[in-house]
Amino acid sequence: MSISVLVADDSKLSRRSVIRALPEDLEYAICEATNGKEAIELLSDTSFDLVLLDLTMPEVDGVGVLEYLSDKADAPNVIVISADFQPEKQKIVTSLGAKRFLRKPLDKEELAMAMFELGYL
Amino acid sequence: MSIVLPLDEDQRDALQELLNISMGQAANSLAQLIETKIDISIPKISTVTPNELYSLLFETTDSFYTRQSFLGDIHGEVMSVLSQSGLAEVAKLMDYDEPLDKEDVQEIILELCNILAGACLSGLSDQLELTTNLNMPTLFQPEKSNFSDLQWQHTLVMEVQFIIAISSFSMRVVFCLDDESLARMKTTLDELLG
Repeated sequence: MSISVLVADDSKLSRRSVIRALPEDLEYAICEATNGKEAIELLSDTSFDLVLLDLTMPEVDGVGVLEYLSDKADAPNVIVISADFQPEKQKIVTSLGAKRFLRKPLDKEELAMAMFELGYL
Repeated sequence: MSIVLPLDEDQRDALQELLNISMGQAANSLAQLIETKIDISIPKISTVTPNELYSLLFETTDSFYTRQSFLGDIHGEVMSVLSQSGLAEVAKLMDYDEPLDKEDVQEIILELCNILAGACLSGLSDQLELTTNLNMPTLFQPEKSNFSDLQWQHTLVMEVQFIIAISSFSMRVVFCLDDESLARMKTTLDELLG
């Protein structure tokens, strides 16, 4: 099984960590966005199965991306992966439709569990 | 401000990300204490001379200033700039009674420095697997201080900002590293990136 994944994070190190953490059971078609604006551009003309989204990004932040997606009927599942894990922040992203909230530094097993719960594994 | 960045793009990106993670941990510690959301900035990393550092720190008025040194595998200084505005609201969230006296204000400032600056440095050190020991912060007045005791020509500055959403309070934390510590950090970042 192959799924299309958008990894949106302004940090190259973080994008690399996220991609390395993806479970090996699947094949992936991966796109990368270096800020929220790029992510929205990609989301507007490409269909993704899953978005792995950072919150603290320049141009447009992760909340902005979620706001954009909240207006779309066919929005992909979003797993937020952020260092800013305050309860208030988690409430905001959940209310905007994010399916899971994972803390940085990302734990590989937590990502696998989230993807399992969302039916990818 | 003249910037001579001694880090390459990958090192800078990695350091920024590690600092971002540390800031998140620090903000969460304070958010739990005062049960209020804290906004965090994207970390800025630059290199400045002591004079430029002075301008960077003291561009704002109506602020409190603290500095605290740290020693260990890397050493340097952490300087914090806390807005006077909104501090009373933060004090209330920290269960201080009004009106605040001078000692209360000093205690709150030092407590905020310990929580935010301390957690940031601790988080960064942990991720880099480096040992650092942070000394207690002390309040200082910029007009009565000079930075001639900073013995390095350029300082790596890592600047982060915390904003408490429901008040007008903000705090900037600036980490300064000397050349020797910078070299150590670059080596550690390269190992991480490798």
